[in-house]
Amino acid sequence: MTSRNFKVLGQNHPRVDAYDKVTGRAAYAADVYLPGMLACKLLPSARSHARILRIDTGPAAALPGVRCIITGADFPDVRFGSGALRDRYVMPRDTVNFVGEPIAAVAAVDEATAQEAIELITVEYEDLPAVVNPITSMQPDASTVHPDLEDYQGYGFTMGHNVSTLLDADRGDVDQAFQDADHVIEDVYRSQGINQGFLEPMACVADVEPNGRLVIYASTQGPYQIRAGLAAVLELPVSRIRVVAMELGGGFGAKLRLAFEAFPALLAMRTGRPVKLVNTREEAFTMNGPRLPVTNYIRSGVMNDGTITAREAYTIFDVGAYLGAGPNSGIGHGIGAYRVPNFRLRSYGVYTNKIYVGSYRASGVADMTFAVESHMDHIAHRLGIDPYDLRLRNALREGDVSVSGAVVPSNGLLETLQAVKDAVAWPRQLEDGHGIGLALCEWRSGSGPSTAAISVNDDGTVSLLTGSTDISGSDTSLAAIAAEALGIGMQQVIVAKRDTDMAPYTGQSGGSRVVYSQGTAVQRAANETRDKLIALAAERLGLPQDALGCEDGRVYVLDNEPQGLTFTQLAAASITSRGGPIIGTAALSSMPYTPVFAAQAAEVKVDRETGQVRVLRYVQAQDVGTAINPMAVEGQLEGGVVQGIGRALTEDQQFDPDTGAVRNPSFAAYLMPLAIDTPQIENILIDVPAPDGPFGARAVAEPPGFGPPAAIANAVYDAVGVRVKELPLSGERVLAALKGQSPALTMDVASLRRAEGIAAD
Amino acid sequence: MKQPLQLQINGESRQMLVEPFYSLLDCLRDEAQLTGAKKGCDEGDCGACTVLMDGQPVTSCLVLAHSAHHADITTIEGLASVAALSPVQRAFVEHGGLQCGFCIPGLIMSATGFLQSNPNPTEEDVRFAIGGNLCRCTGYARVVEAIMAAAAEMRAAQ
Amino acid sequence: MARFNYLEPHSLDEALRMLADGGDGVRLVAGSTDFLIRWRTGFWRPDAVVCMQHVPGLDAISFNDADGLSLGAMATVQAIEQHDVIRQRYPALAAGATAFAGVQVRNLATIGGNACNASPAGDTLPALLAYDAQCRIVGPAGERWLPLTEFFQGPGRTALQPGEILTELRLPPPPPRTGGLYIKHSPRGAMDISAIGAAAVVSLADDGACRRVSIALGAVAPVPMRANAAEGRLIGQQPTAANIAEAARIAAQSTNPISDVRSGAGYRRDMVQVLTQRTLQHAVATAAGGPAPFGELRRLALQTAI
Repeated sequence: MTSRNFKVLGQNHPRVDAYDKVTGRAAYAADVYLPGMLACKLLPSARSHARILRIDTGPAAALPGVRCIITGADFPDVRFGSGALRDRYVMPRDTVNFVGEPIAAVAAVDEATAQEAIELITVEYEDLPAVVNPITSMQPDASTVHPDLEDYQGYGFTMGHNVSTLLDADRGDVDQAFQDADHVIEDVYRSQGINQGFLEPMACVADVEPNGRLVIYASTQGPYQIRAGLAAVLELPVSRIRVVAMELGGGFGAKLRLAFEAFPALLAMRTGRPVKLVNTREEAFTMNGPRLPVTNYIRSGVMNDGTITAREAYTIFDVGAYLGAGPNSGIGHGIGAYRVPNFRLRSYGVYTNKIYVGSYRASGVADMTFAVESHMDHIAHRLGIDPYDLRLRNALREGDVSVSGAVVPSNGLLETLQAVKDAVAWPRQLEDGHGIGLALCEWRSGSGPSTAAISVNDDGTVSLLTGSTDISGSDTSLAAIAAEALGIGMQQVIVAKRDTDMAPYTGQSGGSRVVYSQGTAVQRAANETRDKLIALAAERLGLPQDALGCEDGRVYVLDNEPQGLTFTQLAAASITSRGGPIIGTAALSSMPYTPVFAAQAAEVKVDRETGQVRVLRYVQAQDVGTAINPMAVEGQLEGGVVQGIGRALTEDQQFDPDTGAVRNPSFAAYLMPLAIDTPQIENILIDVPAPDGPFGARAVAEPPGFGPPAAIANAVYDAVGVRVKELPLSGERVLAALKGQSPALTMDVASLRRAEGIAAD
Repeated sequence: MKQPLQLQINGESRQMLVEPFYSLLDCLRDEAQLTGAKKGCDEGDCGACTVLMDGQPVTSCLVLAHSAHHADITTIEGLASVAALSPVQRAFVEHGGLQCGFCIPGLIMSATGFLQSNPNPTEEDVRFAIGGNLCRCTGYARVVEAIMAAAAEMRAAQ
Repeated sequence: MARFNYLEPHSLDEALRMLADGGDGVRLVAGSTDFLIRWRTGFWRPDAVVCMQHVPGLDAISFNDADGLSLGAMATVQAIEQHDVIRQRYPALAAGATAFAGVQVRNLATIGGNACNASPAGDTLPALLAYDAQCRIVGPAGERWLPLTEFFQGPGRTALQPGEILTELRLPPPPPRTGGLYIKHSPRGAMDISAIGAAAVVSLADDGACRRVSIALGAVAPVPMRANAAEGRLIGQQPTAANIAEAARIAAQSTNPISDVRSGAGYRRDMVQVLTQRTLQHAVATAAGGPAPFGELRRLALQTAI
């Protein structure tokens, strides 16, 4: 528990937007209705890889009510990308690369007419050979997804056939360490395609102001990134575009970047009318990048006492048709939350003719955590060591060096392990078919450009302006940080709605970044505001600044508390003061490395006849540092764990093995957990203050989702003695394992090593 | 061609011209300007469009608008008075039973309909009652807690 | 996207006339839950729909000892799930109803619509088959009765002739000492389309032997089916563990499941055996003492852990 004496932080606060949301008044992008608005519909590619010979829009254009039809040729001939590599047209010009890729857009007087027009468009294709499996795709004789890859802007160097990116990390003498190890243990794991499952389908309304500026009402985690993306693909200066971030109905990474906004934007520019595009759920599944399957080879050198001395991990990330999510963040997580002196980590991003890969709650790390934490249990069982003890022995300590080279600062990793051990009374013998499993999760608090401005209002309240879209209650947390720093109540902080014209530039809301980085900017802006209030009070009271304190909405004399000036009085005084009205601002570009650790335990029951796994209880302990708003923190932790349980047991984005098309594009077939599927979840908040976060807060949102696949797989092993190395742990897969019929998972690592000139065994 | 449709929405009689193929959800959003009910899937799988039809929760995306004529419809906009939230709404606020909020109108309508017929539910009953509502953010723990709290409060007020 | 006209009869005669006048382009809709989904995908493209919601008297549920249970075709799945007599006397049907989608869809979907969609995975259908449901069909030529087993012709295909309407399902009264259960096998605890559904209804004779046995399976063949050979193995026999296991094995053999995104064919067949065994065991165990309380029935039907 904290000994810090907070007035606002550490207490539960309802969300600042709660009233709007429970009354149905919160406005999401699809809730924007403008006079004269047209509806936009999209034509998806029917082919996985084909040249577009001809698109006949004639009959569609002739349909009454149709106002405009655009295809790839209507856009400037520029490629864009999510990272440095620009591998993609916003709408393909001559070649389609996956089933579902939008190749035409219609604007019509209503949705029904737009859809009728879409059905009247005919496309003549010339099929090209398609490749769906990433392992096959890496073979030199596989068809090439991007023949001009080397000419693309931002392309690095040749790294293998159809490979978009290769990330690597090395330390020590790995091959020697493996030779010296008492045991060498290797595994291959496979995790499935995952949809982000945001409830609000992508939506956007584009409008053109009388002065010709484009206004975009967007469902986005990154309004400035939408603006930059639009500016690039439409060849407009960013100053001609204004993005209004509406309420965000879930993103989880899927709404970090430009998606379909360019279509209604161009249609609005062509027609002079507002244009609305709302994805169907099927489009959300087939047009907007999910996570794609990952295959993980992992090998460890271990000494008899359980010390891990060497690690090699080769990870193949299927990136689909385009590198939509940028280079994956999986690299670096191949050693997990452990000190491993020698490692070789490789992560390949491989093109296939599938929907492009998107971001989702620390893309790739959940896949890595499943492999690493399952592998830890495998090592423990092979060596006859308790899995808890193995983790404790190898866990990172303060002062160790992380994969990126940063020194690990003070943290609560060991406390999280101990807390979970105590909570589940580990080790515990259970009845047959019941088991407990552990997993350890690691992440870092997100960094990136952050800004904030706080101005003092006439009535002593303050207005907080940031460019960050609210995700997971971040507005409320930022308000709490401002209130704490200024010595006022939550009700005295107004969180301004923002758009790119009004709010200062900031990074995207994602990667556990907002409270940690943006929160630091808010704290600094609040400090500046407070300093200005104190300076003004000092001037008016004729006292030195250090004789004054600031609390409960007033600046007071430390020696004589009743004497002072309220914020209201100071706001009034400021109008005519030398410094003018009071506003505090802050900006920063990056934050120091601050890790986040969580330990988790799952208790499961396995039905030996059906193979079905039910999670009976889930315990998680996470070092969140200072819990800004504990109710929100716990909500984040619970939501993350349930997403992880879905990943572990039921969610499975499947792709047709021949065409790569999404096979289950609906919530009836892509199975996210329901209330009836979720167990009791126990949260333990460990508070080791972050050296640099706002008031010692760490990031929260990402780690809870990492652990469940491994914790549950480890619990299944504990329950029935079989290890399932492929997700999800469906009844069918577990039953096959119980019958000894699990398919063997392999990876030809020798070839990958050879290609790099590594001559390991 | 649009045809006339009469609905009782949140206690008000509304006359509208509505396409024959419109769902009740489309009718509420596009014609009645009530955007509280959300279109999350348009397939009855997510529950974000839940409204009460003659007191019973239904997925409004799967109701032919015209088949509902003369029906009594309550949407999320009809729950709170100007002065106060309903007990279910208040409990969601106080217990932190919401995050992004997109599923919340549907969840609150499901809970409201359910508690009218089951004032004294078990937690398991509640979980089944919202079995047709997907939420991706909360993990349901605080949602269930809020509904149980609302039930207790409504019983106490009886 | 195919626009259609909306027609609203206020009597059965008017509905029959609309069907006759409209010909092939007209589709009858009941709860509209399946209709709207399939219309949006373009699978159904009618010129007009005849909506049965405002035809009075078609949603009645009644029971008497002589005739058994009468379900108006427009009775909602929720009304069936909530019905006390059904929970007591036809527990497998109550279980099938509770396993059906979520409450918001149950409040719309009708038993007649579920039967007419003839989905192999329809959750209420195995129980209706297991209780020997008869279909009352009204058409231009008058009324006829047909066993539900003959009603299903293939996925989405029924024995309804053009212009005919299913108006009622009738389930004979179960003999004394009858128990039953439906289990839905799916990854989640609710909302899923069944990977497999199994219903069993067993009536015991005074000597404890099985007097009447019905086993019905969903999602393992083109239509919901009765496992006649497996039933035959048990009829007249004592319901011992060995006999039940053998019947379950025969039931599994009699199926011809497919592989799809939900399950592989082999796993489906394995599950038929497990589920048949479990439903039979429960049916026998509750035949004498009466059905399980609804809360337990729901847990069993959906195989939930909590």
